[in-house]
Amino acid sequence: MEALAPILLFALVFALLLLGYPVALTLAGGSFAFALACAGLGIFDLDVLGFLPGRLYGIMANQTLIAVPLFVFMGAMLERTRIAEQLLRALSGLLGGLPGGLGLGVLLMGALMAASTGIVGATVVTLGLMALPNLLRQGYDPQLATGTISATGTLGQIIPPSIALVLLGDVLSNAYSQAQLAQGVFAPKTVSIGDLFAGSLLPGAVLVALYALYLVAVATLRPQRAPARRQGGAESDAPTATDLVRALLAPMSLILAVLGSILAGLATPTEAAGVGALGAVLLALGNRTLNRELLRSVCESTLKTTAMVFFILIGASVFALVFRGLGGDVLVQGLFEGFPGGALSALAAVMLVIFLLGFVLDFIEITFVVIPVVGPGLLALGIDPIWLGVLIAVNLQTSFLTPPFGFALFYLRGVTPRDIPTAAMYRGVVPFVALQLVLLMLLFAFPILATWLPGALR
Amino acid sequence: MTVLIDRINHWLGRTAAWLTLAMAVAVAAIVLLRYALAQNTILLQEAVSYGHGLVLMLGIAYTLKESGHVRVDILYSSRSPRWRALVDLFGHLFLLLPVAGLLLATSVPYALSAWRILEGSSEVGGLPGVFLLKTLIPLMAALLLLQGLSEIGKAWRRLAEGSSQ
Repeated sequence: MEALAPILLFALVFALLLLGYPVALTLAGGSFAFALACAGLGIFDLDVLGFLPGRLYGIMANQTLIAVPLFVFMGAMLERTRIAEQLLRALSGLLGGLPGGLGLGVLLMGALMAASTGIVGATVVTLGLMALPNLLRQGYDPQLATGTISATGTLGQIIPPSIALVLLGDVLSNAYSQAQLAQGVFAPKTVSIGDLFAGSLLPGAVLVALYALYLVAVATLRPQRAPARRQGGAESDAPTATDLVRALLAPMSLILAVLGSILAGLATPTEAAGVGALGAVLLALGNRTLNRELLRSVCESTLKTTAMVFFILIGASVFALVFRGLGGDVLVQGLFEGFPGGALSALAAVMLVIFLLGFVLDFIEITFVVIPVVGPGLLALGIDPIWLGVLIAVNLQTSFLTPPFGFALFYLRGVTPRDIPTAAMYRGVVPFVALQLVLLMLLFAFPILATWLPGALR
Repeated sequence: MTVLIDRINHWLGRTAAWLTLAMAVAVAAIVLLRYALAQNTILLQEAVSYGHGLVLMLGIAYTLKESGHVRVDILYSSRSPRWRALVDLFGHLFLLLPVAGLLLATSVPYALSAWRILEGSSEVGGLPGVFLLKTLIPLMAALLLLQGLSEIGKAWRRLAEGSSQ
């Protein structure tokens, strides 16, 4: 009975989460209630909870996580000042004449921009509102259009610099040092957010290429599903060179500079994010959309997103304290060590569980709740931390896309015209899910896809 | 009462929000000072860290007021307003209040022991206010508790209005 307590804790919290009360408070409150009950039974020592303020201070003083509000700020600024929208217009103006050109524009914009909110739902909704009407107006098959939006909206999560990767990188680096400490490694190796950024770059590029190939193939073989721009239509006026420079080059060079300086080791993620945030303000000044009211709304949405993310981290640390106090980490460790088939089958099992959890929980919750539980055990089996991180990210993204439970579809439904049936949205996303699975299998078979670039940059 | 609590958290949240802009400017300044002028920037770095702490800790109760904390809304969003008000009331009473109490009970002694030695930075030349930073934890818990009470009132009213119709 006592040995099952950590599993019961997990089940209780999971069931409570389904009620729909805010995640952070459900994690903390459910765990606390369970801890009280276990203390009553004499199998939990409430003194463990005395570590809580120290954990909270650690979260507050964590230097790498300061990158979170700064990246959120940068993303909110680019989004609210219509820079993202202008980028989309410029890209579709540039590519519109090609087969599937508008779809490719949406894909590129999403890959560059959609990374900033950290919440899959919000990203998909934003992209849906911004790009879906354009696609439909140009006569795209609704199935293809909604599939493209769902896939592109989740894509941003695995393409650096994304908040999801910042959080995952931080959690993995803790798990990695914990795993090595447990094995008595005195000079532990480290893994950083920059490593994870570098690791996910190539797989992200492969995925963008796969999506793009699919779009071009559909547009070429079935032009009626993805018609090219009509000649002489209102939207066909080719953008002028200055428009392109302003709308395309400026934000793209900002994002590439932020990413490049992190990858090249010139700046920490926090420094790059700070410069990126200020750069976004300057871009908004440049296109004359900045005013006091807008600045205030960007600051406020940054504060809300930041508080939301860190509150979940606080809730998850209450859960982690109780889980560990009940011996949950020992239980998981034992489970992995005795796993039939060794490290790779343990990894495959975890991936399946994460895939299923992705139907209910978002990236942040899984990163903060599940990875600290399974991460140290898996890493202790000798699995490469960067490979593990990239696998988790791609896996989750696939989960968010998979009908009927995928998060992305659920949120996109809310902003899709009623006359497009849900079944069409499901059918539209299937090819993208298949491409995701191709990438997952490639990654599983060739870990070097994820580990080569970080190694080469070191 | 709920109006007063809402106003306090509203003002705190809106004011702290500006710190996100200040953080961006300060970090950019750090980069400039360090790489262009090779200046030591410990003070500024710690100021950013303090700003970050303020944003987090003052933002949590405000975000609760603004319904900005994410939910697992697979079931929640498709249910009736009455069901949602019930879930909220249940959550405020049996999840939020105990958590705020737990945070308050553990963090007050933690902050007090930092006050007793007026704990400063562990870095040479850092800001001397770690005890103030640690005080943000019980402050966050207290603001969360207050906002929770206000939200209980609101959820109760939503329920009452729902059943009188």
